[in-house]
Amino acid sequence: MLNQPITRRRFVGRGLALLAATPSIPSFLALTADQLAVAAAEPGAAKNSDLPVLVVLQLAGGNDALSMIIPYGDDAYHRARPTLGRAARDVLKLDDTIGLNPNLTGLKNLLEQKHLAIVQGVGYPNPSRSHFRSMDVWQSAQPQTEHPLSGWLGRYFDQTCGGEPDPHVGLAIGQSLPLAMSGGRVTPLALENPDRYRYRGPDPQRFEALNQLPRNSDEANANQSALQFITRTAIDAQRSSRRIRDLAGGISSRNGYPATQLGQQLRTVAAMICGNLGSRVYYVTLGGFDTHVQQQGRHDALMRQLGESIEAFWKDLSSAREAERVMMMTFSEFGRRVSQNASGGTDHGAAAGLFLIGPKLPAAIFNPHPSLTDLDQGDLRWQVDFRSVYATLLEKWLKTPSAPILGGRWPMVNL
Amino acid sequence: MLPPILTPFRETDADRFDRIKAAHLLNRAAFGGTDQQIQRVVELGPQKSVDWLVDFYDVGIDEVDPADGADLSGLDGYPTRFADLRKLLAGKTEEQRKELQMRLRRANGQAMRQIVQWWIGRMIRGPHPLQEKLTLFWHGHFTTSARDERLAELMWRQNDLLRRYAAGNFAQLLSAISRDPAMLDYLNNTQNRKAHPNENFAREVMELFTLGIGNYAERDVTEAARAFTGWSHDGTDYRFNSFNHDRGVKQFLGQTGDFNGQDILDIILRQPACGRYIAARLLNFFVMENPPAEAVQALGELLWQSNYELRPVLKTLFCGKLFYSPEAIGRQIKSPVQLLVGTAHQLQLPAPAAQFVRYALEQMGQVPLDPPNVKGWPGGKQWISTNSLLQRYNLMSELAGKTAFEDCADQAAAVRRFVDRLIGRPVDDAKLRELSDALGRVPARQRSARLAQWIVVMPEYQLC
Repeated sequence: MLNQPITRRRFVGRGLALLAATPSIPSFLALTADQLAVAAAEPGAAKNSDLPVLVVLQLAGGNDALSMIIPYGDDAYHRARPTLGRAARDVLKLDDTIGLNPNLTGLKNLLEQKHLAIVQGVGYPNPSRSHFRSMDVWQSAQPQTEHPLSGWLGRYFDQTCGGEPDPHVGLAIGQSLPLAMSGGRVTPLALENPDRYRYRGPDPQRFEALNQLPRNSDEANANQSALQFITRTAIDAQRSSRRIRDLAGGISSRNGYPATQLGQQLRTVAAMICGNLGSRVYYVTLGGFDTHVQQQGRHDALMRQLGESIEAFWKDLSSAREAERVMMMTFSEFGRRVSQNASGGTDHGAAAGLFLIGPKLPAAIFNPHPSLTDLDQGDLRWQVDFRSVYATLLEKWLKTPSAPILGGRWPMVNL
Repeated sequence: MLPPILTPFRETDADRFDRIKAAHLLNRAAFGGTDQQIQRVVELGPQKSVDWLVDFYDVGIDEVDPADGADLSGLDGYPTRFADLRKLLAGKTEEQRKELQMRLRRANGQAMRQIVQWWIGRMIRGPHPLQEKLTLFWHGHFTTSARDERLAELMWRQNDLLRRYAAGNFAQLLSAISRDPAMLDYLNNTQNRKAHPNENFAREVMELFTLGIGNYAERDVTEAARAFTGWSHDGTDYRFNSFNHDRGVKQFLGQTGDFNGQDILDIILRQPACGRYIAARLLNFFVMENPPAEAVQALGELLWQSNYELRPVLKTLFCGKLFYSPEAIGRQIKSPVQLLVGTAHQLQLPAPAAQFVRYALEQMGQVPLDPPNVKGWPGGKQWISTNSLLQRYNLMSELAGKTAFEDCADQAAAVRRFVDRLIGRPVDDAKLRELSDALGRVPARQRSARLAQWIVVMPEYQLC
């Protein structure tokens, strides 16, 4: 192990020569900035393979949480949902008031094994019913900022990664990087298909020369300039490509995943966690939740995909003895209107329940379901600010001060 | 009164209208220029060039050349009107219906791909590149997705509608698109009925199409939704279904009346915020991210005062000092469509194969007719991730590999020529030397293609 981190600039300066001389990526690239920082801060401290991992699962489009965590025991629910409402006999009962969507049997098992907790009525003051605005709020955790430039996970990377920024700290499954992962100093990786995650142009040895940071670059403007940004991303892509593909070789040996989009995404994440890519945060997205019309069948299918995929993921991590260091959080930009609409669907709402899935979660149901009659313009009122959930994950799970990241202190969700 | 940054750029001895600025105009108001086009723009000067780009006829393809346009012949024999479809399905067995519907789905999917292929082809060879660029802009603005619209015919009509109004009058465009069948489907207005309004269209028409967040309240969304109840279509054309329409009194943006959908659009258009919002969108797409507030204000006012005529705004924008400022030139990250079309056009390559076009757009993250959501493509830095950048490099170097042979015996001159043609802005000397040295080791016959391939995998080439 190297005693001191090699800086990006030094790397770039030597990059061409190094890559030309050695067929494989130099060994120091395998270290993440985290490891280097941990090694520097706490001699003999944790190896990368011991560090906690957070998996964020975004349900895009506005998940109807009332059809996920169903308040079947409340008459108001059945009044508001004359056709979408589910009878008591059809839900997976958790207590006398709420039950899970019948397609979430796998998650009910996890809950009974104390691996899944429910936080209800999560939202924020003056909620926006716009997909984009509300998604920006959740991803940035800066509701006051009109056009946020960084995300809460991006600021987490900025805060915790010492030395030169290393893109391996986070990995988003998908073509592009979500705002939540964007920071000031670090731009984490995005990955859609491991097989295609490589440079295939002519003369790979020329890649570094064509993609080097201008020598007389103005460091102060480094993050502002689009050219710098693209150049850094190119270098990061090339650096991470071989590693990712090596680890991706392990994907096919991971069994039990449904052949769904989310199932395969989590399968890739599992391969990266078990292969020790070194990312502290993985980000996965499942879309299709904007169910204005004919909701039931579509939402049920999404729930089935969600339940089966998470169950398979958890089984896999458990048998690989990695589940102990993995925590997952689901979220959506908003829940949906309590009353169904005329099209057998639901319109944009506000507060909603979410899942936390992790190794030791004693309180299965953190708080009671919010009122279905005391509403804010037809929508559930929030009981738990989403920043409290973030603060809890940052402080208790990732072990980092949350106030600088979230712009203030938020009460912990005591699990 | 225009602020100084929007007054026309005037050439001085110290600040010429040179090839850099000419290439910039062609990059932004078109999909990049060839050598000859850039030279021609330099000779014409900014005003005449902008006139040449902006003054196309406001007509759709069907009026110019009915023989042109996407090949939808795969749909021949299938009815498009719902009533005809019902007649066709009547009396059929369950199995026959399923069979027919599957064939119809396939034919529609094929037709959707034909539209994209035809459109990309028109962008590459197009006689009016700004018309196509604006059509792309409006498609990203008034998004509709082929995933939600199963009738390819309707997507085609919408595409040609955007082309027809591209640089015309925004108020007319808004009225037309609000009655466009594909839009009515996409934002669920066909399900918006008096008994239970569906707010989807009413919300997005304000949030994304005209005003932007902060210029209306939640109450305005629910009230507007009532006014749009009954706006529907019959499979080919807009139909007003009076039975589903809510004739009651609505309160909208401070006014009270028994408004219908057109009243709502008219009230929206009377808000100065609407002019500013559209101006900001145009500035953001054609000039720079986060444009100065005074530019948004002034262009918004110009649009509002000209009753939403777009041409005066576009000409002001493309002639203005702001457009030719160092903060604008070479600072925009090319969209995947820009990258693909520009590479093919600037290198004067034969039309890329349909399969390649489809695959490339998918991998780079921008398939026309398939936007990620109703907000369209976010653009800017969002185009770039480690994943998408690798795809851009791989696909563009594959494409550039088809560059025609030309003499590159003088390595340094060849590098200067290609960099000028493809990037059109100064590039770090050290990189030019690298390219020149490397070129010396490439066999003469392969040099032009290889050089083009190297340049398209440079960060500089990702910008325009």
